[in-house]
Amino acid sequence: MMRDPQTVCIVMIEDDEGHARLIEKNIRRAGVTNEIVPFTDGTSALAYLFGPDGTGQESAGRALLILLDLNLPDMTGVDILSKLKANPYTKRFPVVVLTTTDDRQEIQRCYDIGANVYITKPVNYESFATAIRQLGLFFSVIQVPEAEA
Amino acid sequence: MLLAAAVTLLAIVVMSGWLADSTRQYSRSLSRMTALRVAAGTLLSQLQDAEIGQRGYLVTEDRRYLKPYEAADAAVETTITRLRELVDGNADELRIVDRLAVLAADKREELAETIALMKAGRRDESLAIVRTGRGMSLMDDARRSLADLITPADAQLETQLGALTGQARISGWVANLGGLFILLVVGGAVWIALSYTRALMQAQRAIQALNDSLEQRVSERTMELQRANDEIQRFAYIVSHDLRAPLVNVMGFTSELEAGLASVTADLDRRPADGGDPTATEARRAVTEDMPEAIGFIRTSTTKMDRLINAILALSRQGSRTLSPEPVSMRALLENAAASFRHRASELGCTIDIAGPLPSLVSDRLALEQVFGNLLDNAIKYLDPTRPGRIAIRGRAEADRLVFEVADNGRGIAPQDHERIFELFRRSGVQDRPGEGIGLAYVRTLVRRLQGDVTVDSVPGQGSVFRISLPDILALPSEKPAHDA
Repeated sequence: MMRDPQTVCIVMIEDDEGHARLIEKNIRRAGVTNEIVPFTDGTSALAYLFGPDGTGQESAGRALLILLDLNLPDMTGVDILSKLKANPYTKRFPVVVLTTTDDRQEIQRCYDIGANVYITKPVNYESFATAIRQLGLFFSVIQVPEAEA
Repeated sequence: MLLAAAVTLLAIVVMSGWLADSTRQYSRSLSRMTALRVAAGTLLSQLQDAEIGQRGYLVTEDRRYLKPYEAADAAVETTITRLRELVDGNADELRIVDRLAVLAADKREELAETIALMKAGRRDESLAIVRTGRGMSLMDDARRSLADLITPADAQLETQLGALTGQARISGWVANLGGLFILLVVGGAVWIALSYTRALMQAQRAIQALNDSLEQRVSERTMELQRANDEIQRFAYIVSHDLRAPLVNVMGFTSELEAGLASVTADLDRRPADGGDPTATEARRAVTEDMPEAIGFIRTSTTKMDRLINAILALSRQGSRTLSPEPVSMRALLENAAASFRHRASELGCTIDIAGPLPSLVSDRLALEQVFGNLLDNAIKYLDPTRPGRIAIRGRAEADRLVFEVADNGRGIAPQDHERIFELFRRSGVQDRPGEGIGLAYVRTLVRRLQGDVTVDSVPGQGSVFRISLPDILALPSEKPAHDA
């Protein structure tokens, strides 16, 4: 069963609070009103996504869209991505990798693991704002599957 | 040791020579003595033969008995001559021989007289002469004289034989000693050679060991350097990468400020100008002048910082890119590079010439394209506007290296900047062209990775020549940097 996009929750894993704020602002400017749950490190994000027991059952019934930065203080985003895609409850959540790295090999690796979208943060702020607003528009039209119970 | 041996051997040789010489002298004098003795004996027997023949004839009157007399009589003279020869200047002996000659002559005369009388039939007269006993006394005298000659000769013979024997013994000793000594010397030489060989082998082993440890040290150092290099690459990458994140914030929030400022300005513009209030005037000035200016500076600085970070990132990526050597036709590569600048060059009235045959090489194509692209870009960028630009590319082979030159007649570079321009973010001369001081740093990094070197010759106001020397075949070390950013 598919959910109304309104009830989709956006999980933002981004260690730089400035970036997080700028991303949120621009997503809102695109008219996205969904709840945004921010995390600034990998450990707390994993705790939220997979629950205290780490099984992922916690996410059963949720509809999440995950915005993931690769450079985190305690782990790399790639680790979180692999865990998400390997877990039966979370594997269908769309994952948008949003990071500063534009290294070709890194991008390939993320898609190989199962990233749905990979976006390099433009350094130029106009481009950055535009990219995030477009991403927000994209969020408002995509279908997010609910995790199986 | 060897010198002593040589000296001793020489002494032995000299001594042997001297011994042989004296032995030869001894034996010569010995043979003379022997011959003298024999000759003396012969003379005596000849005189006796002559006398025997005479007696026989006188007794028997048979002429057959005269035969031995005649033979002996004829030979006596020869024997005396021989004796004279053998005496060889010895005064005592000569005197004896002279006396013998007189005695022999007298004897022969007496014999001849008796025989002549006998032949004439005067037998009694002949016999009377014999009876006088003169012949007998002559013979006795001759015997005595011969004895005088023979006795000292015998004695001398005796002593000389003794001396010869002694000398033979000495020779024997010398030979034995020499032999012993030669054995000693040979033994010593063998011992020395053996000990030298042993020392040599030891030295060789030591050198081998040193060599091995040296090789190990070199490879250790190479690995350390490689590691250090990798570390710097990684460091540059991480730094530039992590610097970007806060920069995004600075730029982002600057834009937010700008947007906020725009709405404040729009609001202020709608209000009537309130002339007398200084606070309001101050606020208006801040919004319309100070804040846009501040935002402008922040913008410029962040943009510049962004370019610098990108440059470091590009350099560090270049440093870790895996090179792939392939045969490269430099003519084709340079013509391509020049072609991409022709349009810009012709707008400035500048010519680009590729001169002569260009040597080809085995190297990394992309790196070479970037090197010559950067050099051509610089050459065009820093032309002297007062004269038409001329850019020439030349190449030549030197030993196992190839040298390429990019020469221009541009504004040139001051001597104190010849090294500086290859450093990152450093530029030279009037800063009237856009740029971050990255191009030549990039060129040098690339050329060094291609195991080459880049230098510049330049006279300000006349032009510059960038010279790149490269190996004709790029041989990559087996170990490649693991990091591939």
